[in-house]
Amino acid sequence: MNKTSKSSMRWAQVAIAVMGMCAAAASIAEGGERVAVFTKNQTNPFFQAVRLGADSAARQLDVKVTHYVPTKPDSIPEQMSQVEDVIIKKPDAIVFTPVDYKAMVPAVAKMNAAKIPVVDVTDRTQGGQFVAFVGASDYELGLETGKYLIQAMGGKGNVVVIEGVKGAITSVDRVRGFNDAAKQAPGIKVIASQPGNYQRLQALQVMENLMQSHPQIDGVFAANDAMASGVIEALEGANRKAQVVGINGSKEAIDAIKDGRLLATGDYNGFAQGCLAVMTAVRDLRKLPIKPEILFPAVVIDKNNYQPWETPVESRSCPTWEDAVKF
Amino acid sequence: MFCEESINEYGLPVFRMSFYLARYRDYFMNTTVKPSTLSSSAATVRSSTDLWNALPDAVRSVVLRLLVLGFLCFVLSLASDAFLTATNIVNVLRQAALLFLLASGVTLVVLTAGLDLSVGANVALSACLAATLLKSTGSIALTVSVGLGCGLLIGIVNGLLVAVVRIPPFIATYGMLWILHGITYWFMNGETIHGFPPAFRALGSGYYWGIPVPVFFMLIFLLAGVLFAQRTRWGQEIYAVGANPEAARLSGVPVKNRLILVYAVSGAMAGLASLIFLARLNSAEGDIGESLTLPAIAAVLIGGASLFGGVGSVFGTLIGALMLTLVLNGMNLLNIDASWQPVVTGVIVVLAVFLDKLTRKGDVR
Repeated sequence: MNKTSKSSMRWAQVAIAVMGMCAAAASIAEGGERVAVFTKNQTNPFFQAVRLGADSAARQLDVKVTHYVPTKPDSIPEQMSQVEDVIIKKPDAIVFTPVDYKAMVPAVAKMNAAKIPVVDVTDRTQGGQFVAFVGASDYELGLETGKYLIQAMGGKGNVVVIEGVKGAITSVDRVRGFNDAAKQAPGIKVIASQPGNYQRLQALQVMENLMQSHPQIDGVFAANDAMASGVIEALEGANRKAQVVGINGSKEAIDAIKDGRLLATGDYNGFAQGCLAVMTAVRDLRKLPIKPEILFPAVVIDKNNYQPWETPVESRSCPTWEDAVKF
Repeated sequence: MFCEESINEYGLPVFRMSFYLARYRDYFMNTTVKPSTLSSSAATVRSSTDLWNALPDAVRSVVLRLLVLGFLCFVLSLASDAFLTATNIVNVLRQAALLFLLASGVTLVVLTAGLDLSVGANVALSACLAATLLKSTGSIALTVSVGLGCGLLIGIVNGLLVAVVRIPPFIATYGMLWILHGITYWFMNGETIHGFPPAFRALGSGYYWGIPVPVFFMLIFLLAGVLFAQRTRWGQEIYAVGANPEAARLSGVPVKNRLILVYAVSGAMAGLASLIFLARLNSAEGDIGESLTLPAIAAVLIGGASLFGGVGSVFGTLIGALMLTLVLNGMNLLNIDASWQPVVTGVIVVLAVFLDKLTRKGDVR
């Protein structure tokens, strides 16, 4: 079941436990439930990981997952009409990431009215009834990754913050987390905080511009990995050095950590989020105990612990329910 | 620098974009391209205001935009010590290059009263295909030809849709945008391709005599674009098609061929931009093009082109691209709060075009 991965001890344990769980599920003699999974876009590797996690859980639990992804990334009207279509098809459960945590509240109200149980995953929708929330805390990720950066800088120096899309809850919380980490370090000076809109080209240009007005930049906090890699290209292009951290734990970031170009990245754990969200939805349908809130702890990936993340997402397996809800 | 054909008695450049148009002049009922009448009116010009009014539209429009650009630079140099330095100027030029390359192709399309909404999506697909080939074969020649070829092919299809199938340009290229996005997302499946050989990366991050390679591309295509549009028969025919397609057709301009040509050029420029993007960013993912389309069209319009066709220039587009780049540069240097940045960008874009509107009013009178 896990033969393609370079399985570490952890994954071996996971595999054994999962087999046990499959057996348990089979003994209840349930299966074939239909779960609709909503994600924000087809472009961000993070949501690809969420979908693969959901698929992996679906195979283990013998349920049928159908994915709904707006063709225009993060499109509010498109997700709204997809929700309306899904309500007509009436799946047994829905796993839902809102493309916008405020604008999608009415969509959740429609699912509630149709009496379809909904599990909220990744972004916390501002209203509506949910069976559970599964996600990572963006604030904690910003805080922990920020603390790691500050420690690596020896607690002093000039830091630049590259924000994501202004108004996006992920960016707001990650930057707030970082700023709280910076406040605790008197030697750290945040010399600029500028938007890169989660785009690598804009992050590259912003960093090139900031290097013009700031001769000394010691550290950079980028709110996602794509922007961190734009920042690294800008630094290398100008023959300058600074410690750079990103967030998401993407494949690209792991490679950059291995090459010593990126200091660290906060793991957003999309695969496990997808797994646990589908598991929660299915356990709820099968009247098994669930947790109303599963928040993954903020794990900072650096050159000492990156190995488990080298396993391609496609060949990972879901953690067991018992392991996953321990924290 | 900008496409002057001759210098008049006041030492000012005169656009003679109409040596060719003049032959069809009677057909142009509502064209906004005015052949220069300077030589006949010059004798009666007395004050500098008269002189200004006597200048052809195209010259006034470019001069005015240069003044706005100069003013923006002046304000920024007062506001930040880091602005008016050699390194920052080189930095701004390098950043403007990608936008200009993309926008220069769109300029030709807009001159024909068309629009190319697919350039960003074109960049994304061309870049992703080229990146995949570069990773798997390592051949730079193959990568460059696939990047350019993919862009060109998409452009030709756009041109055929507009010129032969006669689908309105907005819809044809908007449809193309979705098709390209779909193919790109399917092809990439949420993956990122990264890490290219240094020899290829030199295209985007290399230098010659202290000048970044993309800036050379910008200068080459600026010169080529200006010469093509202002000095060649084909270039003038493109203006004619935009000003009045029916008149152009009756005068023997091969309208269909010229339309296919401009979309093909726009596509090929997107292909070139995709290679510069790859070389500069060292990576490709499915969504790289989305943030490029609107700025490219904005650069063309800020540069003085009219969506109704027949008016505009590649040099104007350079000014538009520089202006958009300067706004980001200035906001970063001054560390303007993220919330206010879209507001500042919007105000400057509207102001720049408003100034132009003022001068055009004077002309309608």
